[in-house]
Order: sequence, then C-alpha cells, then structure tokens
Amino acid sequence: MAMRELVSGGAACATSGSSSSSNPLGSLANALLGSSSKTQERLREIPTSTAIPSDGSASVGTGEPLSGLPGSELDHPLQPNAQGSEFLRGFRSADQHGLADVWDEIQRPQVNFPPEHVLRQPDTNGPPQRVLSSFLHSFVNSSHGGIPFCPATLPVLGLSAGDKQCIRDRSSIMARHFFADKSEDFINAQVNALLSSLEIDNDIRAPGPAFKRYQELEKYWHETHGMRPGPNPADGWVAEFAQHPVGHGDPSTWVQSFEQEHGANGWASEFEHEHAQLASMDHIRGATMPHLAAMEQTRMLANTLAQNNDPKFQNSKFFQFVSKMSRGEITVEDNQIKPATLSAPGDWATEYQQQYSGGQTWADQFVHEELSKGPNGWVDEFASERGHVDDGWVNEFSKLHVNDWAEEFGRQVGEGTFGDSSADNWASAYDEYLNEQTALKQQSESSRGVYVFSDLNPYVGHPNPLKEGQELFRKGLLSEAVLALEAEVLKNPDNAEGWRLLGIAHAENDDDQQAIAAMMRAQEVDPTNLEVLLALGVSHTNELEQAAALKYLYSWLRHHPKYGTVVPPNQPDSLYYGDVATYFSDAARMSPDDADVHIVLGVLYNLSREYDKAIESFQTALKLKPRDYSLWNKLGATQANSVQSADAILAYQQALDLKPNYVRAWANMGISYANQGMYEESIRYYVRALAMNPKADNAWQYLRISLSCASRNDMLEACDSRNLDFLQKEFPL
Amino acid sequence: MASDEKSVQLKSDALMEQMKIHLTTDAGKALTKKIGLVYQLNIAPKKLGFNEESYVVDLKKGEVKKGTYEDGKPDATFSFTDNDFIKIAAGKMNPQIAFMRGAMKIKGSISAAQKFTPDIFPKPAKM
Repeated sequence: MAMRELVSGGAACATSGSSSSSNPLGSLANALLGSSSKTQERLREIPTSTAIPSDGSASVGTGEPLSGLPGSELDHPLQPNAQGSEFLRGFRSADQHGLADVWDEIQRPQVNFPPEHVLRQPDTNGPPQRVLSSFLHSFVNSSHGGIPFCPATLPVLGLSAGDKQCIRDRSSIMARHFFADKSEDFINAQVNALLSSLEIDNDIRAPGPAFKRYQELEKYWHETHGMRPGPNPADGWVAEFAQHPVGHGDPSTWVQSFEQEHGANGWASEFEHEHAQLASMDHIRGATMPHLAAMEQTRMLANTLAQNNDPKFQNSKFFQFVSKMSRGEITVEDNQIKPATLSAPGDWATEYQQQYSGGQTWADQFVHEELSKGPNGWVDEFASERGHVDDGWVNEFSKLHVNDWAEEFGRQVGEGTFGDSSADNWASAYDEYLNEQTALKQQSESSRGVYVFSDLNPYVGHPNPLKEGQELFRKGLLSEAVLALEAEVLKNPDNAEGWRLLGIAHAENDDDQQAIAAMMRAQEVDPTNLEVLLALGVSHTNELEQAAALKYLYSWLRHHPKYGTVVPPNQPDSLYYGDVATYFSDAARMSPDDADVHIVLGVLYNLSREYDKAIESFQTALKLKPRDYSLWNKLGATQANSVQSADAILAYQQALDLKPNYVRAWANMGISYANQGMYEESIRYYVRALAMNPKADNAWQYLRISLSCASRNDMLEACDSRNLDFLQKEFPL
Repeated sequence: MASDEKSVQLKSDALMEQMKIHLTTDAGKALTKKIGLVYQLNIAPKKLGFNEESYVVDLKKGEVKKGTYEDGKPDATFSFTDNDFIKIAAGKMNPQIAFMRGAMKIKGSISAAQKFTPDIFPKPAKM
C-alpha cells in the first residue's frame, strides 16, 4: 500500500464505513468525514500568513522523527486511529474557524499560492485546537510555497502525549509526501521545526484517549480490525499474544517485539539516535539523510502493516522487507536495493526472522493482492528485486548446518500450502508453545511449593490408600503409587508419611518439582524428619538452588539427635557453605560408620562441585549400605556430572539392578549417553524412562534434543505429540 | 568454586562448570570442530540486563571462562536471566520462542546465533 494512500485517505476506499485493511486511515477518514475528497481539499487549503513571534530555534529539534524509528515503537504502540483522529480533528477545526496561522520572520512574503482564505491574527489564546490546526496548516503551506518552515514558539497547546506522537508521526509522513520533490535535508528540517515548536519530544508514551472522537474511532478501528471471529487457530495465538505484556494490549508481532527489543537495546537505539543527532544539527550528510527518510517512511508503513493481525501479513517477506528498510538495513539506491553498509542493529535478527518466514507464497499473495499501483518506487522495486534480495541472505542460511529450531520451523512453514495452512502451521507451533507455557507454569507453581494433584484419581475413596501406596511403591509401580498416595493425603492432609513417600516417589519418577512440593508439605507436618530434610536437600541440589539446598542440609544436621551438638545453638542468618561443610566433617569424624552422614556430605560436595570428595563420600556410604539403589544413583549422578560418564553408567546399572523401575536412573542413563554424543543410545534410554513415567517432562525435552542430534527428525512429531507407542516400537532397548 | 560466599549464586554457574569439563572430553572436542565459534553469555540473576555475569563459551579453543571476551569480538552475544538460560540449555524453552518473547537477546552474527542450540550443553544428571 502506498504511503500516499495511507496519508491522504486515498481513493481506494470508496464507501464510508467500509473497512479495508489496506487503507486504514482512508476508511477512518471516510467514516469521519464522509468522503475522502474533502480531506484532500483541506490539505490544499492554504492559509495565508500572519506573523507570530518566532523563536528562530533552527531545527534544533532533537531529531524526533528520526529517532522515532525502531526505538519509538517501544514507547508507544502505534494507534493509527489516534493519529487519524488527531490529525483530522486538527483539520476539522480548521473548518470551523478560519485559520490563524503561525509564521515567523523567516517566512518569506513571496507566497506563491493564492490566498484563498482570509486569516485572522494568530490567536494564541485561542483553543489549542485552533492554534494547533493553524500551525499544522502553515506547515502544510510551507510545502506549497517552497518556503522553509521554521520553528516558532507556541503557547502550551496541551497536547497529550498521544497527540504529540500522532502529530510527530503524521507530520513526518506528510512532510515526505509533500516535499517529495525537495531535498531530504529540507524535509527533515521542516519536520524538526514543526516538532520542536510543538515541543514534541522523544519520550512520549501513548496515554489513554482523551477525546471522545478518539474513543469512537478506536471502537470503529477495533470493529474493523479487531480479532477476526471464527475458530481460526491464528486467533488463539493472536489473542494470547495480545495479552502478553509486550503488546500493550495491541496485538503485536514478533517484528515489533524485536523492534522493541532493539529500542531498549543500548547500542541499537544509540545508533539511531546518533543518526538523528547528525541530522538535527544541520550537519546533514547527504548519504544518511535519504536513508533516514526512507527509514522513517517505511517505519510508518511497517507500523501500519503491523496493525494487521493476520499472521500471513506478519510473516510476509514484504512486511519484513519493509521492516528491514525501516531499520535502515537496506536502502534503495539508484533503483537497487542495497543492504546498508553500516552494520544496522537489527541486521541479524531480521535475517533471523526472514529465515522463519519461509514461504514465498505469502509474500506473493500479499504483493499481488494488496500492493497498490502506487507510484512508490521502492515498493515496485521490491517486487521485482525480491528474488535478488532473497539470494543474499537466505542462501547463507541454506548452506548452514541444519539446526534444531531453524529447520523445524522452516519445515513447518514449508509444509503448509498457500495462505491459510501456512499461517496455521505457524500458529499451531505457537499454540504448542503456549501449551508448553501452561505446562511450565504448572511446574513452576509446584516449585514454589504448590503441589499439583492429578485428575481422575482412581484411588480416591480407597479405604486405605496409604497402605496401597506403600505396596505399589514397593512393587516399583511409581506412578500408581503416586496416585494412591495422593488419595491418602487428600484424605489426611496431615499425614507426614504420606507426603514424604509421595515426595520420594516423585523424585524417583524424575520429577523434582513435585517432589519438592510434596516434601515441603511433609516438612510442615513434621519439621524434624531427617529423611524429609535430606530429600529436600537433594532435590534442591538437583534444581541448582544452592542456597535452599544448603539450608535443608544444615537443618538435617541440626535436627539430628546425635550431631545436633556439632552446630552452634543459634541458627545463623546466612549460611556459609564452608561452615556447614566443617560441621559435617566433624560429624563424620564423630561416627565414621554412619552412612547417612556420608550421604549428606556427598550431597554437600555436589553443591560445591567438589566432585571427587563427593564420590569418595558416596563410596564410603555404599560400603555401609550396598543395597541402597538411591545411593548408587547418587554416585552415578556425581560421576556423570564430573564427566566420568563410563563409571556413571556402571553405577546406574547397579541402581537399576536393584530397582528396575527406577525412572530417574533410566533418564540419567540417557543423559550420560547423550553427553557423550551417543545420541542413538540415549534415545532408547529416554524412551524407556518415559514408558515408565510419561509425565517426566525433563525426559521429553532431552529426548527431543537427542532425536534431532541423531538426525531423526522424522520422529520429532511423535515426540511432540508424546506418542509413546510409536517411539517404543522404533527405539526398543 | 568451592565456597559460595556470594549471596547471589547463579544456577547457570553450575552449568558453565559442567560445560567447562565437558569440553575436555571427546564429545566436547567434537563440538569445537563442529561449531568453532565464540559465544558470550550475559546472565542476569533476576532481571535482564541487571547485575549480569558474563561467560565466554569459546567453542574454538574449547574453553569456558568467566568474564567478557577479551580476544576480540564474540561471534554472538546472548543475554538471558538465570532461569531462562537453564531452561534453554535443558531444552525446556525453545530459543526462538525465547527470542520472540524478548526473553533472550542476541547480538552479533545471526548464523552464529542459530548454532546456539540446547544440544551444545551437557545435561546435569540428577541424584
């Protein structure tokens, strides 16, 4: 869509009230004014001049329009309706009362245009609207007269931040539109002048609407461009995404997110800002200006395009091209599209996006359907140059070694056919992500101590679920035991043993989150239970939560009947690892035959990553308790983490001999193989672990990684859909 | 690494340690051959960009060092929070989704960034 169209409420939109995604402003304008031609007229109305005190502050403007590039998106999600209303209101008001105008002494009297309207003296006390409108008009005027428009001080117009933003944006576009024949310096000077007069600065945030009309427009806007009705999966993610803080309530795209990120990114915005500074200080370097102007233009375009929720839109190459242009990474020079020689900040990330945009199909469609016959050279050039443009960046990627995400994404997109289904693929990947997020959220809840009960528990109502749970546990049916134990604690929330066993079952099932949650409940009921404290220490160590782990291990010592004396009577505020280790060593010396002390010491050494000492401790403990499967696993894990993978596997095997359904040990086996690069083997072990506990999320993630490392992308889908049967058939042990 | 006197100890620290050792193994050496890039990871304890600890994962030499990269410019620099990095390394969070959400920031070469996948990192075994 051409800028012209956007700006002038162009001809494409004939009926008022019609909504056309390609011409938002036009339709708005039409709705408001009933016809687009009127707006055109207004633009042509040229108020004559009346002098006003001028500040002569030569384009000192800190380059607002120019720094209003990627960074500005961060500041305010663009609301075109806001722009439209403000701008139109400005013009509307012009209708009501003739135009006071704002000139300064530099305004030359050789006004080439016929004074069509008699103007009053500038009424600086007048309603802000009037002053503003006249000011805006003079800006417009100056275009026609070829007269440089110089900044002037205006009374406080009470422009809201949103208004300012609109004015800024609109004026930059308008300037480019009007001054198309002028040099770029001129354009920017003009805009700067306008903005500095209006005291529009960079730091603008869009506020709530202050005007009724704005509200109406917003409503109208949302009606026409709001979430598309219907069960289109694209809606799901759009809606969800809209709720994401990044969006500020407006559905925002990943491009905007990216741009936003870059706005916040120190050096990126500095880069833009620097450019802006250069421009504003009248040290206009010829090279940069055209780029910046184009950037500004395309940024506006990109913004408006971004308002379109259609995922096709977002992902189209066209849109990305526009975004890219807006960031100055590519410029149109001599009818060629050239990547900017300056390393633009968003360079790599746009390419990154490009990689994922995949299908040219969308871009094709878009370009054909919606590309206006507008004269904008660069748009046409893009259509023709697209092939050329693609080569440079995309080829680089196709040569790359195939990667997890990139490939998957590209494949997903490539598999889609025209239009909808490709959007669907992307949307469904996103849905999947969202599901993942809710699952993760669940997990994170339990890590904060909130235990998550299973639904549909067949053991609820069982006469003695605890006993049942213990039986099942003994038999090694961990998941079943979990259910039974859940039934027990639902029945008797104060049953410490129930909670404890539940926690252990979860840990053995390779779910530390739930294990912690259950153990915390057990600790509430029975604060001095040593096994509980140890288990908590272990789980937290696994989760790399070192401070918490230390706390629990210390508590173990304190509450121990025998070693309680080793530690000082008052609990110190902050625990230092070194001190705790000393206490434990003391305790160990006290009774060298107590396996438990050695076990706890082993865990402690894991915390501090003194793996050799940890291994030693565990081995000592194992001499005393050779049939403790959990101990073998601890030994194995320590060895694995110190990259003695061969030994680790032996230890795990011992554990599994003692407890064949030890899910954790199976998963750990998989990890050891994977860490050694033996991905095919690791897959088998993961699958085995998952067969025993389909809820082991860690194992699913690891399986996925191993699958792609082993180049078994064909099975990725089975993995994502958690199709265990399929996986088991394919990867038996 | 023995005593953590600091009040804020990053979880990622453990992962980095593991990575360091991992790179001395055959599998780790294969990684340097396969990738051959230098990454810098800026990890913040809670909020992106605040109190960052930097690590250099040098997959050219096969080293992991704390601090920023001194011998030139890293091929790609990432910023995450502690938790997010752990998730990504474990495969729990998709890096591209993380990027889109703004949970991960990238600077530098895009192709280098794309090679930064969860499988680079060894997984911790659980006791």
